[in-house]
Amino acid sequence: MAAVLELRNVSKRFGGLRAVRDVSFQMRENEILFVIGPNGAGKTTVFNLISGFLHPDEGSITFSGHDITQTEPHESARLGVGRTFQIVKPLPTLTVRQNVMLGAFMHTSSVAQAQGEADKILDFLQMSHLKDFPARGLPLAALKRLEIARALATKPKLILLDEVVSGLTTSEALALADLIKRLPEWNVGVVGGVEHVMQVVMKIADHIVVLDYGAKIAEGKPEEVVKQPAVIEAYLGPKYKELVR
Amino acid sequence: MKELRGAKLWITIGLVALSCLPALVVENNYLLQVCFRIALFAALGLAWNLVGGYAGQLSLGHVAFFGLGAYGLAILASHSVPVPIAVLIASLLATLVAALIGKIVFRLRGPYFTLATIACGEVLRLTATNLNITGGAIGLTVPTVFTGPMFWKLYYLSAVALAAGCFLVNFWTANSRFGYYLMAIREDEDTASAVGVDTANYKLRSLLLSAFLTAMAGALYGSAFQYIVPDNILTIDISVQMAIIAMLGGAGTLLGPIVGAILLLGASETFKTQFQESHLLIYGILIVLVVLFLPEGIVGGIEQLLRSRRKAAKPPAPTPNQSPAISAVEKGN
Repeated sequence: MAAVLELRNVSKRFGGLRAVRDVSFQMRENEILFVIGPNGAGKTTVFNLISGFLHPDEGSITFSGHDITQTEPHESARLGVGRTFQIVKPLPTLTVRQNVMLGAFMHTSSVAQAQGEADKILDFLQMSHLKDFPARGLPLAALKRLEIARALATKPKLILLDEVVSGLTTSEALALADLIKRLPEWNVGVVGGVEHVMQVVMKIADHIVVLDYGAKIAEGKPEEVVKQPAVIEAYLGPKYKELVR
Repeated sequence: MKELRGAKLWITIGLVALSCLPALVVENNYLLQVCFRIALFAALGLAWNLVGGYAGQLSLGHVAFFGLGAYGLAILASHSVPVPIAVLIASLLATLVAALIGKIVFRLRGPYFTLATIACGEVLRLTATNLNITGGAIGLTVPTVFTGPMFWKLYYLSAVALAAGCFLVNFWTANSRFGYYLMAIREDEDTASAVGVDTANYKLRSLLLSAFLTAMAGALYGSAFQYIVPDNILTIDISVQMAIIAMLGGAGTLLGPIVGAILLLGASETFKTQFQESHLLIYGILIVLVVLFLPEGIVGGIEQLLRSRRKAAKPPAPTPNQSPAISAVEKGN
């Protein structure tokens, strides 16, 4: 299968800090890829680079045949890169349904059609009962789902999930993981980023990229990657050895 | 949904008809003039609402477009351009200036944006004070459209018509993708661009629309009072008043600017006759009270109250972590 997303030797500096160092990886169609690494490893920066919120100093990013190295966020979104934010960014005074409609408006200017699309997606994410509530005041678990719903409504080819389970209880995280695993049904690939919730990663990832201090230190199938001693020692901690077995 | 819109439309038509009433009943010219100003500032508040309310960009430079409308009409009419065409050209000119201003000020966010808009208004005031074509500090005469005993009645009706036009633009905005995009920009620009909204472009579009309507109001105002000087027609007071009217009534709501205009101008006229100079104090207290107790404005506050009433009537929604998927997963593990 062809690569949908490809990062080639991407680097990004913030002043003296090299946040991302010479990172390359590929994501295939409808694949679930997870970027993992400890706090400050550069995961969010990678997501910002892919979605156009930042531009790399070196290297290139291609997405389904387009060079998106220098595109602006709204252009990337229109090419099919959907994203969620680590710190959830709902539109607080709008209702849940209106939040999702905003994504749907990318493909229709009709309010009624956007509502229909939004309802379908909210149904999939099991939050139909919340649709008329303002996004402000929802619990975090619902806000995390809302982020996904809004991104999914733009009918992306790829959805970037930045720390999508952080701050959730284990049961909330696993329920969400189940839904993420079903995202390829919507014909969308996933690049997830997770710091430490390895249960989720092991459960749903097809492929893992491990970052540390901005550099890629390992890559491969989840079972293989977590067996690598360096990865276990440095990023997952010894207790996760049991999970792999 | 369509029926609801029909009902809203009838309510709107009713409101417009009702607001024409003073023209039939009131004979006192002073009162008619007050009514004219209320209608005109309702139109201004509605025009400002597009940028300041829906798109959430707190502009305090709208007097620039107001002044361009008035000065444009005065200058063009003195070169014997017919008034309706002069108004149209002046408004288009203001829209063009808005495009230039917007390109610059929309690079800034938050308070910096607001400061830049203030500067734009002030630059225009100083320019008008120092140019010959604008008559400098002495000002210009503006042609009137109506004469005779019906003068204020006809101006009042024109202001109502303009306000109704502004209301329709707001109504369309609130019910279209354009409006949704503006609200998304107001709530979170990053989120807006993540769903493919070209935020700079949409902010600019809202400003162009707003500037056009503001300039029409400026032309009407100038023409009604027949004489314009920079300190009167390009003063920051007008920008501030537009913003306060919309925010007092409820920024980003349809009826807010109308309620705001009636309340603010009504109060300031009432207190002006009773308390002379100290009416400004009452004006200030009113604003403080609304900001403290109804931060979303009067209409916004009432809407919120109604919504929470409705919610209380419904059974509480289950929290999302009671969804069936979770129990299934928990069993699975």
